[in-house]
Amino acid sequence: MKRFEYLEARTVRQVISMLQRYGENARIVAGSTDFLVRWRAGVWNPGHVINIQRVAGLGRITYSSRNGLRIGVLVTVQALEQHPMVRRRYPALAAAAASFAGVQVRNLATVGGNICNASPSGDTIPALLVFGAECRIAGPDGDRWVALDQFFTGPGQTVLRNDELLAEVRVPPPPSNTGSHYIKHSPRGAMDIATVGVASLVSLDGRRGPCSEARIALGAVAPTPVRAYSAEDILRGHDLSQELIQAAADSARDGVQPISDIRGSAEHRKEIVGVLTRRTLEQALNSAASGPLTFEDQRRLTVQAAF
Amino acid sequence: MKKQLQITVNGEPRQALVEPYYSLLDTLRDELHLTGTKKGCDEGDCGACTVLLNGKPVCSCLVLAHSAHDAEVTTIEGLANGLELHPVQQAFVERGGLQCGFCTPGLILSTVGFLESGEEPTEENIKHALGGNLCRCTGYTKVIEAVVAASRWNRDSQGTE
Amino acid sequence: MADFQTIGKSHIRVDALEKVTGKATYAGDVYLPGMLMCKLLTSTRSHARIKSIDTSAAEALPGVRCVITGNDYPDAWFGSGALKDRRVMARDEVFYIGEPVAAVAADDEMTALEAVELIKVEYVNIQNVVDPLEAISGRSVDVHSDLEDFEGFGFALGGNNCTMLDADRGDVEQGFKDSDVIVEETYHTQPISQGFLEPMACVADLEANGRLDIYASTQGPYQVRAQLASVLDMPIGNIKVTAMEMGGGFGGKLRLAFEAFPALLAIKTGKPVKLVNTREEAFTLNGPRLETNIYLKTGVTNDGNILAREAHSIFDVGAYLGAGPNAGVGHGLGAYSIPNFKLRSYGVYTNKIYVGSYRASGVADMTFATESHTDVIAHKLGMDPLDFRIKNALSEGDTAVNGSPIPKNGLMETILALKEKMGLPKKLPSTPKEGRGVGISVGEWRSGSGPSTAAISVNEDGTVSLLTGSVDISGSDTSLAQIAAEALGLRLDQVVVAKRNTDMAPFTGPSGGSRIVYSQGRAVQNAAEDAKSKLLDLAADRLGVPAEALECAGGAVYVQDNPPQSMDLGQLARMSLSSRGGPIIGAASLSSLPYAPVFNAQGAEVIVDRETGQVRVTRFVQAQDIGKAINPMGVEGQLEGGAVQGIGRALSEEILIDKKTGEVRNPSLATYLMPLSVDMPEIENILVEVPSADGPFGARAVAESPGFGPPAAIANAIFDAVGVRIKTLPLSAERVLAAIQGRTEDEYTVDAEELRKAESA
Repeated sequence: MKRFEYLEARTVRQVISMLQRYGENARIVAGSTDFLVRWRAGVWNPGHVINIQRVAGLGRITYSSRNGLRIGVLVTVQALEQHPMVRRRYPALAAAAASFAGVQVRNLATVGGNICNASPSGDTIPALLVFGAECRIAGPDGDRWVALDQFFTGPGQTVLRNDELLAEVRVPPPPSNTGSHYIKHSPRGAMDIATVGVASLVSLDGRRGPCSEARIALGAVAPTPVRAYSAEDILRGHDLSQELIQAAADSARDGVQPISDIRGSAEHRKEIVGVLTRRTLEQALNSAASGPLTFEDQRRLTVQAAF
Repeated sequence: MKKQLQITVNGEPRQALVEPYYSLLDTLRDELHLTGTKKGCDEGDCGACTVLLNGKPVCSCLVLAHSAHDAEVTTIEGLANGLELHPVQQAFVERGGLQCGFCTPGLILSTVGFLESGEEPTEENIKHALGGNLCRCTGYTKVIEAVVAASRWNRDSQGTE
Repeated sequence: MADFQTIGKSHIRVDALEKVTGKATYAGDVYLPGMLMCKLLTSTRSHARIKSIDTSAAEALPGVRCVITGNDYPDAWFGSGALKDRRVMARDEVFYIGEPVAAVAADDEMTALEAVELIKVEYVNIQNVVDPLEAISGRSVDVHSDLEDFEGFGFALGGNNCTMLDADRGDVEQGFKDSDVIVEETYHTQPISQGFLEPMACVADLEANGRLDIYASTQGPYQVRAQLASVLDMPIGNIKVTAMEMGGGFGGKLRLAFEAFPALLAIKTGKPVKLVNTREEAFTLNGPRLETNIYLKTGVTNDGNILAREAHSIFDVGAYLGAGPNAGVGHGLGAYSIPNFKLRSYGVYTNKIYVGSYRASGVADMTFATESHTDVIAHKLGMDPLDFRIKNALSEGDTAVNGSPIPKNGLMETILALKEKMGLPKKLPSTPKEGRGVGISVGEWRSGSGPSTAAISVNEDGTVSLLTGSVDISGSDTSLAQIAAEALGLRLDQVVVAKRNTDMAPFTGPSGGSRIVYSQGRAVQNAAEDAKSKLLDLAADRLGVPAEALECAGGAVYVQDNPPQSMDLGQLARMSLSSRGGPIIGAASLSSLPYAPVFNAQGAEVIVDRETGQVRVTRFVQAQDIGKAINPMGVEGQLEGGAVQGIGRALSEEILIDKKTGEVRNPSLATYLMPLSVDMPEIENILVEVPSADGPFGARAVAESPGFGPPAAIANAIFDAVGVRIKTLPLSAERVLAAIQGRTEDEYTVDAEELRKAESA
């Protein structure tokens, strides 16, 4: 535990100039749900802590049917969970947010912090991935965009350079007849890091039509949250029969090499990937055809341990 | 190096001289002598340190004290009106929703935050609202009963306003 | 049937208001002027000799006031019980990762932590042993090479077996010969933490005359006082311990833990010193429970009579005998009458954090084994599990394992009450995705005894002050006040329970082992009766009637046949000030009470997800014979809390230990998973009241039994739901799924034959 200096930035430009000035010796905090814990454990030892919580313009969440969701990085996970348009149009994301930690942490934790932490098991990330989220990164030379599925490079590692700040996440509007679901496999119905987390999205060509889009994202089974591209390919363009869904589930399961750790063995994780992929696809298909579940029903199915 | 922090706690403007690494929890307890908020784990896993920060329940052990400058904080000490208990406190007392009492301030603040949020107090919503509060003594049955009882007061009183 | 005024009513806790307002003072809330903060340096080695400790850099850090190591303490040994196998701080050798080797007192916590990092220790590794089954096998290195020289070493196999308990009756070999069916199994339970929300904390201060003032989070102030006196080599009277409001103990705060560190630092610096454990230290410094391996062999007749049982229970105790393996003998039979038995219980050293107690330590482990075993036998015989239990249940007049005759009790009532409430036997409908099942567990325990004292003084207005040295860990202050109020005919609000310390309250045993309501309550009742008899004597004298003609109720003493002829307690108290006897005090003291068993029956309904192994408890019901519920709301609270602790033990709690080093791998509430509100069902309680002969108003012990049954009830329910028998805790999704898919890898073998041979050798 090293003593540090505390700084506050008021604009994006200030953040970047502070980052440039202190380089690798600086760490950004927003909600700071991770910072103090890791600092006390001696894992993070910055000389300067830059609080971006009062930077103007980063705290808004808006939705339009044309542009979809725009989430400023300071939006809390709780705000995300509670937003009516997130619950209606991006149910898997709202349910994933609800499954994350507990209310007291969600009221502090920011979407940006979640993403920049780049935990392999971060709950909101698989859902953001299946919805095709994109990240706007602010730097000394302006903004650049990176698709979320290109954002992570390893556990706790992202494409962000030392002098860059994640500013916003955009999630395109889902087409009609789209269903989504997230299931978190963990011992308890709150507070746990996922042993396995799977999100699926299914878009149909018309109510009964073939699958025009299928996306599957897996958490806690790889160095980063990942899309199961091969499994998706099996489904895209076809009618989603039970056999096809099972084939996609098997493919997702076979495509991962999870590690064994205190939360579970690699063998168990692989098993669960198969089961959860199938179940999330089934539910997503259901919702695509018949309309979304209520938030409460969705949350109940997401948090497996709850009843 | 210690720096001055201005913060409103339980409606009163307060000042404290704290190091950058101090949490809001440590500030409340060590500097402002408000020891009702408890430290159970110091890592956001138990909820014993729950306070309302600008009206929202948060784990005060996770909040950098200086990040809370100019904020409004409500702690357990700020709920009762002299000897008159807040309805949530009253409900916990009457329903036996406490035993050792260590998790109790955090649980009560989480409950107050939940009831004031306007979310419907179904049993399921209540359980999720308290999902971040560990209690080792009660087994939760009487805690849930207390919150349900408090929510009825809340609804009744809001109806008359 | 007596009509009680205060007993049997769900009064609000006497400490409720201070707890809901944040005014209750826990040890960590004590702030004294000039107070220093203490932090600890702990061993990074599993088993090693300490070659040198260099504290110079730490001492030189500005803001550091004092640094101590094990050599700063008198050269004394102590122990949790008779066996003295410990130093208060490691001197020449460390025995587990996390063992304290130095302590720092500094102006603030950050400085103390920085100083700790500057202390340099040189270790020389010694071979360690982590697996208790390997440790007891005689083929591993000894944790304590000088075990047999320890004061208090008694009967044991030696090596790493530091204590062995036994109980025999009849002829087990013949019993097995006469049996039609024999079932032999091994069960395994996991390391568990008490999980109290308040990490241990202590503030040590010096009085002007050099006496030590200790403010501690503890269940046993007199025990801490005595052990401190012994390790600091000072008279007991030199130490005052105040047990502060305690944020949960559950047995984990029964004995001396770290109080000696701030104590010595306070002595050396002359300033108050505070030590508050981190949550990590609550796992690595405090005594949790470690694994047990339980071998059971039972012989039964075809029509379901249990004839014989042999049990060998191996309790991993870690580096020191922090708590004994008594449960392996005391609870090797369960609630059944078994004519022939041979029970052995072993405490085994390993290089890990030493064990402590946890809500009847060991009994939950034994109950998981014996009550799962009971179902296995029932199924083997084709008998309904409930009927099999009823057939063999203990009756009044049978002889308990401890040799006492079983007095009148409510065992059958609890079983039948559970049966009715849950509608047993019943088959729950299952689907391809989810299996549903019901399982039960019957538990037996006893009401705790031990030295108990109480004193009651009558104030000049007729209110009373109750002085009891017990620590309130279960709402007992309220129950004790109710007992006093009932005995004296007062309202509850007329009884004040004094805040106390070891200087002012007479000696009493620790708050644990289910002894407070039963024994301390009895002492309180006796003290109240003593005060009452003095009041009656005084009133008899003034009213000119014999004391037998008087009644004491409603705050007054009156003539039974002529109630208007009365004096209220205030009058009598004021009169007593100048009476021959002086001011009225009632006092009572006892050292033991007769055996009063506690029986309970618990049932769980579960849903098992066949594809993920996830288990959810959808219903939990329990019936317990509590003798007489002094405060029903308080009793229910204890039953509910205990049951949920049991469910946590059954499903998700486990201290994970590194197989090579014995280190705790998950010392955090993020990874040690205790039950949350979102996952728990409403706990349904049935209070059965078959009064005990000697408890206050017939009360029996309450609070430990509810934790026994959930693991077996849930394991039995899982078997009912999906047909797999799991003999290892916890019943995690991974373990259940593996069992469903037939790929179980858990393998714990107790070599009973080797143990039999070792004993006869």
